Amino acid sequence: MKTKALVIIIAVVLAISLAASAILYFGGERKTANIYVDGKLYRSIDLAAVTEAQTFTVETERGRNVIEVERGRIRVSEADCPDRVCMRSGWLSEGDIPIVCLPHGLVIRLSSGGEVDSVSR
Amino acid sequence: MNVKRIARDAVLTALALIIFIVELQIPPITPVPGVKLGLANVVTVAALFLFGPWDAGAILILRILLGAAFSSNPSALIYSLAGGALSFAALLLMQKIVNKRQIWAASAISAAFHNLGQIAAAVLITRTPALFAYLPVLTAAGIIAGLVTGSAAQLAVNRIKK
Amino acid sequence: MRRSAAIIAVLIMLLTVSSCANSEKTAEFFAMDTYMSVKAYGGGDAVDEAEALVFELERKLSITDGLSEISAVNEAGSAQVSQETAELVASALGLCELSGGALDISVYPVTRAWGFTAGEYRVPQEAELEKLLRLVDYTKVKVSGDTVSLGEGMLIDLGAVAKGYAGDRVTELLRSHGVKSAIINLGGNVQCLGRKPDGSRWKIGVQDPAGSGYVGVIEAEDEAVITSGGYERFFVEDGKTYWHIIDPSDGRPADSGLISVTVVGKSGLACDGLSTALFVMGKEKAAGLWRENGGFEAAFVTENGDIIITEGLSGRFTTSGGRKVSEVIRRDEN
Repeated sequence: MKTKALVIIIAVVLAISLAASAILYFGGERKTANIYVDGKLYRSIDLAAVTEAQTFTVETERGRNVIEVERGRIRVSEADCPDRVCMRSGWLSEGDIPIVCLPHGLVIRLSSGGEVDSVSR
Repeated sequence: MNVKRIARDAVLTALALIIFIVELQIPPITPVPGVKLGLANVVTVAALFLFGPWDAGAILILRILLGAAFSSNPSALIYSLAGGALSFAALLLMQKIVNKRQIWAASAISAAFHNLGQIAAAVLITRTPALFAYLPVLTAAGIIAGLVTGSAAQLAVNRIKK
Repeated sequence: MRRSAAIIAVLIMLLTVSSCANSEKTAEFFAMDTYMSVKAYGGGDAVDEAEALVFELERKLSITDGLSEISAVNEAGSAQVSQETAELVASALGLCELSGGALDISVYPVTRAWGFTAGEYRVPQEAELEKLLRLVDYTKVKVSGDTVSLGEGMLIDLGAVAKGYAGDRVTELLRSHGVKSAIINLGGNVQCLGRKPDGSRWKIGVQDPAGSGYVGVIEAEDEAVITSGGYERFFVEDGKTYWHIIDPSDGRPADSGLISVTVVGKSGLACDGLSTALFVMGKEKAAGLWRENGGFEAAFVTENGDIIITEGLSGRFTTSGGRKVSEVIRRDEN
């Protein structure tokens, strides 16, 4: 195979991936944070409606993640998983890239609030 | 079985394992899960082009299993196996279509498939298809990491061939 | 070369035009002590005007702003106010009467004694409550022309209707700007204009009073969906929870067996006042009020977690998270 062809293929795939990542990371307005454990919805939080910062703990037999919520954003502030990738992911406030804690099967994902348009409270 | 071959592959496995464990000690450069250089793959790639698929495959699987035993994160084993299997398959295919001067390219494609395998495993385990959102960023990271490790493997193969 | 440039120019123009026609615009702001959002499709800068309108209403109606018209009435016992404020007080008094005093805009001295205005919570003594309760009587609030006057020592607070009224005004404003589709959330009071741009009805979640999800979802169009619940503002002392909705008959947090009431109807003002009134009244009396008056629908959550709806909501109220509607209140009592 010609080296030029290889360079083009790799460059194109790389460019598309980078563009797609940018779109997924900064994917516009997302209001609801959904916390899943093993694919099941554990808790859903309307981030726009958070008035005071709060923390709560998601505990499973595999370990615990402390989740911190502020208006418009959410993060894992403490965790006892081995790699702590979830903590290093930092604040999640927009886009479609979730926070994951693979050892605990925990995923935090933003949605535009798909199932409801607003919450009466 | 050839004793020299066993000794050579054992030394290469040990080398790959040391590289793997040393890399584990380095704090990750990015907050994106799964992004790392994967320097141990220099050994896998070089071994494939120098000694063929059986030797490279053995070194890879032994390094993954021993690596999981030595690391503090045994649950990562399943992701390493999924990524390792897919990337090795991709590497074997690439070996058929590239020449000895294009090892870096084979490594780049293979590394992208490594991350694809990891995401697929994560999607299956957590039952969360949304994790595929990581595909583009991990593909890009895989290509870059694969280019770096592939270039190192290329240099190694060039030198050893002489 | 020139042709391709022309094609690109046309494409850009098309994109710009089409994005204007159905553009979504949101204003988010903090007013009346709470988070508010106004999202409208089309209508250009109407949402900014809506924001300004809410701030203007806050200045008139606020109980904490010493310069508001309501403060002027409270300080002097009688004051001339804008026509708008006078009309709002009159409408609120109508709701007080309709609810037989379960809603009472003059309960403010009691609410203040509990610390719900300043956030310095305390449980007042029985004697103190008794004394303050003598000041609570909405029938002594008079509106004549633009003048609002109170009985001796009385204080009024339009907090129970102000956000609902603001929602009505914002909806009206957006409609006059040609907006056909909008959703307004004023601190949890939801008001929707028309349907969604895709033609479907708005889906309004009803907050789970005991958790963070929804008890259910109400489909609505051109309506207000307003919830009152003890969870909105409360404090705990000696293991007992005290919330901000005060029963004007005894001056204590309403203890009617309900923990949340959602009212759906055309008038935000009425829904807002009624959600408080029905919360105080409890399920039986609330059902009675609904049967006699109509014009609104309601969903109740009891302290046992039961969900009860009026029959007008059946078919457009969907429970969430495996919950079930335990009772449907019907117009004829059988």
